[in-house]
Amino acid sequence: MSEQGMIKVEVCCGTTCYLLGAQSLLALEKSMPAPWIGKVEIVAMPCLEVCTNDNYSHAPFVRINGEIVGDATVDLISKKVNDLLERHAQ
Amino acid sequence: MAMENDKLFVELEASQWIKTGQAACGDDFRCVRIPNEKRTIAVLSDGLGSGIKANLMASMTSTMALEFVRSNMDILQSAEIIMDSLPVCEIRKISYATFTVFDMQLGGKTRVVEMDNPPFIHLRNLIDLPKNNVKELVSERWPDRKMRITEVAMAPGDRLIAFSDGVTQAGLGCPGWKFGWRRDGALNFIKRTVEKNPEISARDLASVIAAEAMSIHPERKCMDDITCMVLYLRHPRVLRVITGPPFRKETDREYANLAVFPEGKVVLCGGTTANIVSRELRTRVDIDIKMVSRSGNLPPPGYMRGVGLVTEGILTLTQVAADLESGDWQNSAAAAKEIVNLMMDSDIVEFIVGTKINEAHQDPTLPVDLEMRRNVIKRLQASLENKYRKNVTIRYF
Ligand code: FES
Repeated sequence: MSEQGMIKVEVCCGTTCYLLGAQSLLALEKSMPAPWIGKVEIVAMPCLEVCTNDNYSHAPFVRINGEIVGDATVDLISKKVNDLLERHAQ
Repeated sequence: MAMENDKLFVELEASQWIKTGQAACGDDFRCVRIPNEKRTIAVLSDGLGSGIKANLMASMTSTMALEFVRSNMDILQSAEIIMDSLPVCEIRKISYATFTVFDMQLGGKTRVVEMDNPPFIHLRNLIDLPKNNVKELVSERWPDRKMRITEVAMAPGDRLIAFSDGVTQAGLGCPGWKFGWRRDGALNFIKRTVEKNPEISARDLASVIAAEAMSIHPERKCMDDITCMVLYLRHPRVLRVITGPPFRKETDREYANLAVFPEGKVVLCGGTTANIVSRELRTRVDIDIKMVSRSGNLPPPGYMRGVGLVTEGILTLTQVAADLESGDWQNSAAAAKEIVNLMMDSDIVEFIVGTKINEAHQDPTLPVDLEMRRNVIKRLQASLENKYRKNVTIRYF
């Protein structure tokens, strides 16, 4: 359960996502940028079940506050999270 | 008792340390199960001295002893044949090996045959039960060697423990251990261990006893070969491994309900598997992201409340198969290692295998070829049955 107001990043650890790079995304938890601390929660998830769904792009997948993000990279996640943080700040 | 015993399982394991500097162990351990007689026979033999020669004597002794006991040959005559065929020590004028045999028939008799090893322990409720049905035999030709045959009445939860003198004589002559660890020292350690962990498996108990004996040796240099064998009569431990989505969605609920299994332990292997179970049972998976640093080359393991361990599927199971085949999993990734440990602590492994193909696994951009789930399960079955003496069942969904 995400605490009130926390941004939740769910990293898929299913077979496909893991093989296509989820491992480096998981590392984000350990090297969280300072401004994220206390505001962003990173969790690992079993298959998010979008890898077999053609409506979504390509693994690895993460889910950020409920929104599925495909072809996820550390940069892409950082950008999305920073956008959300900015919006929260306003 | 016979009925009760029918549902029981005999776990038999041994642990060994080789004398420092030697290439071969001068003790030998051998075990056979004869399923149609519900019988388990194990032999621990200690060859005089150490190294290759002792190893040879010990393995000759245990091989012969096992064969003779298995074919129900007269014990005294068997022992004579063994002693006749081993060389005699010039100085001590005794033949080159000693042995302890556990011969247990579920629902039948259990006997222990001993020749010059430290007396075995029959542990029940932390008590070394006094033996009341002992026969001593002396061969006319080998008057220096005494044989003892003990009839043991086994009850569920009982353990039989035997060791070579590398255990009882551990530390001999060292400060604080003038007479070595002795049988009493070992017994006290065993009682403390079992008190702390009443259901400790034969495998773990044998290994902590041997390790403790080892640690008593000065500078942790093993001065004599150490072997400990433990027989544990208990209710079978069952591990249920649930993996892969069912072929037909209609069976999801039946499949998921199998994850609730208080009689044993459960592992869910696979993201989709975990999702089906958590959807049907309305419970969730928690993956400890802190585990990532220990998770090696596999996704980190998680946990489902009321169910048990949850791991990724095919990569993890493939790693488990490789670990079981090589026999070395100390440095394996966390998820694989946890599954292997659960398997080792079980007597029966039940695989519940969903057969639906995951299309994402056919993705040509994947950097590795994924093995077929069924093939991996077959590899696991072969290792578990042949190498680790486990009972395996497979049910497809
Ligand atoms: S493996 Fe990540 S969505 Fe399925």
